[in-house]
Order: sequence, then structure tokens, then C-alpha cells
Amino acid sequence: MLTAGQKKLLVELRSSLAEAVPEGQISESDYATKGYHLELRLDKGGVRRVAQIMLDKRFMLETVTAADFIDSFELVYLYSTYNQQQVRLLTRIRIPKDVQPFSVSAIFPAAIWLEREVYDFFGIRFQEHPDLKRIINPDDADYFPLLKNFGKTKFTDQIDDILC
Amino acid sequence: MLNIKTIDDATINQRVYQLNLGPQHPSTHGVMHLLLTLDGEVVVKIEPIIGYSHRGHEKMAENRIYEQYLPNPARMDYLSGMIFNHGYCMAVEKLCGIEVPRRAEYIRVITSELNRIASHFIGTMDYAMGLGAITPFLWGWDDRENILDLLEMISGSRLTYSYGRFGGVRNDITKEFYDGTRKFIERLRSRFWDYENLINQNVIFIKRSKDVGVITKEDALLYGVTGPTLRGSGVKYDVRKHEPYSVYPEFKFEIPTRKEGDCLARYQVRMAELEQSLNIIEQALDHLPPGPVRAKVPRFVTPPEGDCYVTFESARGAAGFYIVSDGTRVPYRIKVRAPSFSNLFVLTKICPGHFLADIVAIFGSIDVTVPEIDR
Amino acid sequence: MNITQLPYIKEIYGFLGSDVMSGLVGLLIIAALVPLNVAALVLAERKVAGHIQLRPGPMEVGPHGILQTLIDAVKLLGKEMVTPGLTDKPLYWLSPIIVVAPAFVGFIPIPFSPLVQIKDVNVGFLLIFAFSSITIISILMGGWASNNKYSLIGAVRAVAQNVAYEIPLLLSVMPIVMMTNTFKLGEIAQAQSGLWFIFYQPIAAIIFFIATTAETNRAPFDLVEGESELVSGFHTEYTGMRFSLYFLAEYTNMVIAAALFTTFFLGGWYGPVLPGAVWFFAKTYFLLFVVMWMRWTYPRIRFDQLMNFAWKVLIPIALVNLFITAIVLKVI
Repeated sequence: MLTAGQKKLLVELRSSLAEAVPEGQISESDYATKGYHLELRLDKGGVRRVAQIMLDKRFMLETVTAADFIDSFELVYLYSTYNQQQVRLLTRIRIPKDVQPFSVSAIFPAAIWLEREVYDFFGIRFQEHPDLKRIINPDDADYFPLLKNFGKTKFTDQIDDILC
Repeated sequence: MLNIKTIDDATINQRVYQLNLGPQHPSTHGVMHLLLTLDGEVVVKIEPIIGYSHRGHEKMAENRIYEQYLPNPARMDYLSGMIFNHGYCMAVEKLCGIEVPRRAEYIRVITSELNRIASHFIGTMDYAMGLGAITPFLWGWDDRENILDLLEMISGSRLTYSYGRFGGVRNDITKEFYDGTRKFIERLRSRFWDYENLINQNVIFIKRSKDVGVITKEDALLYGVTGPTLRGSGVKYDVRKHEPYSVYPEFKFEIPTRKEGDCLARYQVRMAELEQSLNIIEQALDHLPPGPVRAKVPRFVTPPEGDCYVTFESARGAAGFYIVSDGTRVPYRIKVRAPSFSNLFVLTKICPGHFLADIVAIFGSIDVTVPEIDR
Repeated sequence: MNITQLPYIKEIYGFLGSDVMSGLVGLLIIAALVPLNVAALVLAERKVAGHIQLRPGPMEVGPHGILQTLIDAVKLLGKEMVTPGLTDKPLYWLSPIIVVAPAFVGFIPIPFSPLVQIKDVNVGFLLIFAFSSITIISILMGGWASNNKYSLIGAVRAVAQNVAYEIPLLLSVMPIVMMTNTFKLGEIAQAQSGLWFIFYQPIAAIIFFIATTAETNRAPFDLVEGESELVSGFHTEYTGMRFSLYFLAEYTNMVIAAALFTTFFLGGWYGPVLPGAVWFFAKTYFLLFVVMWMRWTYPRIRFDQLMNFAWKVLIPIALVNLFITAIVLKVI
């Protein structure tokens, strides 16, 4: 049940993204079950180009997060509008371990702390980040907590298996 | 305010000293450590250091089933515990496609708005206490006690609620709660005059809050600031109106906004929101539909594979849950978007050039909850 | 305005014998009066604060919490006096002692009633003001010796604040001195047998009240010990009995300030039916209640606004008041 304004914005967004990041795959998602309207799947890079487009179209960077898929990471960026028709875009990029993506903090200063958090918990280093150091965990920690081979997860056999 | 761009680096390096505001300090809302670099009484650089309340909520999520994780969201932002609790339930319901009965949605709205009022009392009165006015703080806690008593009637806890369940809420509201809420609304409406007289119009209060800690519109959006902090800078963004969820489209309420972006504007936005929340609660109580309060869901919920992002308006801003599921009973990844995390970072931009006494005021006016930042 | 010496003051001193004797009796009176005052005031403050904040205040100890201060004193006596390691020991030890001395001295010239005045020093109020400047030195000593950045900031603020507010304080009292041609507090109080001076000099009264609130570091001018910002300002590092000495000095200064206001503007001991001393204490305590009331109502003023207020607002008004009084006295 998208309004006319939302559809127009989505069409514009798709065209600008397809122009700026031709290697990405854009697909529409069902907002009712997913919570975002567009999904952009990137392969090797292009997060900065996407961020620039989003800034020009007056979107806000809501959050940057990651998930550990054992042999790769998936970095997720969420952009959303704040004063126009409500549209949300989710950008995901699968990067193998040890690959260092670029930081978008030059475009969105909010990313300075968000990327520090991703580094702190996953160990993903961002290139050209002004201040990449630990933020929440102790400064001298030598572990990255949210990796799947750390602590109590399904993959470490330490999971509390009362109900799981 | 000093224009610090005119002091060159050599002078700064000989004149500045560092002062730790926190982690133990009478006026920081939680265990917050602000490392200030001061030149006399003027702040040159401020660096918030967080992580003192880190409890590993996001890691805990990978070790529990969805139902076992229900108590956790309320402990993240304990001042809007009810709102976070309902938000998490909304996220899982969205992922699984569970539909919530209307009576449960109304109850969720009533309890969320009560929680918002309680949280705003702390947000505004803690700010006043940071300025030195201790009396309104205690008056605000008196009103807050009424809300806590009401919510204890139906949920059993005063601060960290686990009242929501997937598919609705745990139990229905009682007649005592209904009457108590009606009385509370009347009483609070008559108390607004007291606060107005005591601090809102107080000359010293206004002098210390006006033009202090101005966040411009552009800065606010580049830094991802949301909530009353953003609305005080002139942007009319409220998730309840921009991206309506639950039954909010059925209520008539306004979004108070102020243009100036200083501490006084943020304070006034919060005070005005108290009144709007009262309106919502009244409308909800008037039109409360009958029916069940919980949908039929399987005992252990198993969402399909995929991810989902849900956002809702907590007392501090736009919070969100991003859940990645792999088809089992245990979530694969839960990421919580904490509004205070982004709101806090904006301090590094706006504080330099202010006096030490203003830092406490600005920090109080941004109204962060530290455990939400650290999770 | 011609003042005549009341005969019975000389008789009291003559009755007691030599000046040494009367001096000793005076010291005894002070030693008894000051702690009693402070005890009553601390309790009053907590009760007033409680009732303004919709709660009853201390209620446990004694009926309605009357014995609270006594128990607090016992507790403070029993506390361990922790001395931080890197402090400047001589200054650290000396500071609380020096801050208390002016408080005791200030009681000497105050005319509680025509009969009860320890000594009507002939530079009465100058004595009090001169000694109150010593408190500033001791605050600076305490803040510096604590080896603590917070204390230092608090002490520096205190010095600037006290120095700035002494000027309007003295300027606002000068018209009274001009009107009565004397520095003796007893004579100033006697001169108000007709109409109280507050009706002649309302502006001076207001300036005096504000300036003494700032001098005694009470809210809204209490950013020296601003709890929200500086933990405790210059007395952060003082514990136990040393802290209670600072407390004693602060409350005694408040009493002296209120007593001075009563003497200068509210007619001293004059009042219809009851004896003079009762009226004096009633007026003094009423003023103290107003000071406490202000503390729990107003937020704190920021430091630069405080300085602006003193230098740009209070001093010009006080000067103008002084000129007008001088002109009126010359003409009339």
C-alpha cells in the first residue's frame, strides 16, 4: 500500500542508484514483513557512492551493523527518510574476512561511532576512518565478541540447550 | 562563548588541561565518562568514553530463544522499558507475520505513552537538577511514582517491564488500572501549572538554557540525531507520524517542534510532549475495544529465514530492532538501534566553546540513558 | 539625625567589672550561641527543603526529627579524617581553622538587644566585613591544597565571586552610614526607633540582600560548591570534622549576614510587645528562611552571568543610590 509519493521516490531512488552503482542488485521488498522498501545488494564495494547518493536525496543514516556468517561478514547499512515520503533502504555487502571496506564517515559523521562499534564487535577495520578504536569493550581487549566462534553460540557448542 | 578557531595550536597546547567528568559524578545520567579538555573554563574538546555499562545484550540474543530474550529489551533503556519491550515484540511479529488483536494494540499504546510520560519527567527534571534546581526534580518524581504504581498494577514491575508477549500482552488491564489512569490524567493536568510557575518561567533557568548548545538542523541530520533532540532543532520527525505502527494512525495528536535548537527548545519540546501523550492516553481509554489481548501463537516461535527491521519512537528518539533469523528458535543476530548512541555523539560537535557549567546543561538536555548506549 | 548614647550599656560593662571580664563573658556567649545557631539552622534547612520538595524531611530522630543535627554532629565526629596523599599539608590543615575564625569574630559587634551586645566596637561593621574577607583566603587555600582539579576550579570561582560582590555590599551600606554618621552597629540600630531604614533605602536593602547571598555562597550563587558540576567544589577533599568546620562557618556567616540586614534595615531590636532580643532573632530567622526558600527555588547562575551581574548591574545601581542619598542628605 505505497502512496503515490512513495512510489515516485522509490522510482527516482532506483534510477539514481542504478546509475551510480551499476554493479549492485536492487530489489523491492515487502515492507509489511521486512520493514524496508528497497534492498541493494553490493558485491565488492560502492558503499561510499551509495552514501553520497543518499545524502543528496536527503536520507538519514540510521544504523550500520554487521552479521558474522562464518566465512564472510555481511555489512548492513540502513538509510531512511525523515521529512519526505517514508522510504527505507537497506544496503548489504558481503565481504570476506580480512577485507577492509571504506568508511562513510566523511559523508555521514554519524558513521564515526557506528563503524567503531562494528570494528569493536567484529574486527572489521574501515579504511580512512578518522578514529578507529574500541568503543564499548575494554580498550585492551584482544577478542571480538560478536564473532560466531566466541562465547556461547550455536557454533561453539556452548549454547545453553535447555530450550534451544 | 569563545571563538576557539582564533587560538592557535601552540597556545592551546600550553594552556589546556584535562578534566574527567565522570564516570562517577552526581549529574551524569548513568555511568558516563566525558573527557574534557579545558582552557580555563572554556571547553576546547570533549570526548565521551562509553562502555562502562556494557552487558552484552546483543551477544545474549544469540544464546537464547526469542521468548527468553523478552526481558532484555527493557533493560537496555530502562526508562522506556515498556516501549522497547513492545518494540521487540513488534519486530518478531513482523518477521513471523503474527497479527495482534486490537485490544492488545490499544493496551500497548496506553502503557507506552504512560512510560513516555514517566521518562520525560526524568528527562526534563534531571536537566533542571543539573542546573541546580533540585525541587522540580523531586516534584517530577512524585508524579512519576503515580505512573509506576499504575504500571505495577498490571505488569508487576516498576521499571523493567516484560509485559508484552508475541501476539499481544500478557494479561488484560483491570478496572483499578482504568480508574487510576483516569484520575492520574486529571491530576497531572492540574500540576502543569506548578511546573510552569516554578521553572518554565524562571529567569535564571531561561538565561542558562537559551542559546546554549545549539544543534543546527544540518548537524542533527548528519549525526543521525532523532527524538526530542531533533524536534528541538526544527525538524518535525516522529516515528509515530512518519512511519506509523500499531494503532497510532487512529489517534489525533501533534508533534511539538521548536526552531531554536538550544537547550531551552529541547526542554520545551519534552514538556509539550507530556501533554500530547496525555491526549493519546485519553483517546485510547475512551475507545478501548473489547476482545482478546493475545493472539494464538505457537509456544516457541520459529520465524522464517530472513531479516527484518522495525523502528518505533522511544522517549529518546527513533529506536529500532534489526533481527536476522536463520529459521530456528534462536535468533541469528539482533541489533538494537539505540537513539542515545547517535544523540551522544553530537556532543563532540556542539560542546567546544561553551563553559564547563554549560556542558552539564547540554548533556542533561540531550537526555541520554547510558545503558542504552552500551547495551 | 542626632543619636544619644543609651545610658545602660555603660552600666552593664561597669557591672561586670573590667573589660577582660566582659570579654570572657562575651566569648562564652559566642561559644554557646554559634553551635546552637548552626544546629538549628541545619535542621531548619533540611526541613524547609523537605517541605518545599513535598516530603517531610528528617522525621526519625526525635519528635519530627529535632535531634537530627545532634546525631549528625556525633556521626561527623566519628568519621575518619582521610587526608589525601599529595596535598599541601600545612595549608590543608590550616584552611578549615582559618575559615571559622571570622565567623566567631563577626558575632562580637552585633546588637542583639540594647543589653545584649558583646562589644559595641566603634568600627563595628567594618570589622565584620574585614574579617569576612579572610574567609576568601582560606577558601583559596583549601581549594589549592587539595591537589584536585575540581577543588581548584571551585576555589578560583569562589575568589572571583567573593571579591566581585564585596563592592556592592559595601556600597549599599554606605548610605546607611551616611544617614546615621556612625559605624557602630548599636547606634545604627537605635537610629531606627522611628521608621525602619528599609523604607528609606529599599534599593540598598535589595542590593545588600543579594550581595550577602553571594558572599556566603548560597544559591542561586552557589556554583562554588555546585554539586552538579564540581562534585563539592573546594571542600571535595575534606571529610569528617574538617568538613563540618566549613559547614559551621557557612551557616554562621549566614546568620551574621541576616543579623546585619536586620540591624541595618529592619530596625534591629525594635518591636511592639516582646523584648528586643526576641524580635531580633525573629527577624533574623525570617530572613534566613527567605534565603533557604531561594535556595530551593532557583537554579544556579552561570559564572560569567554572575560576574556580569555584579559588575555591570549591581555596582552601578549601588553607586547611583549612594549619590542620590548624598544629594538628598545635603539638601534636606
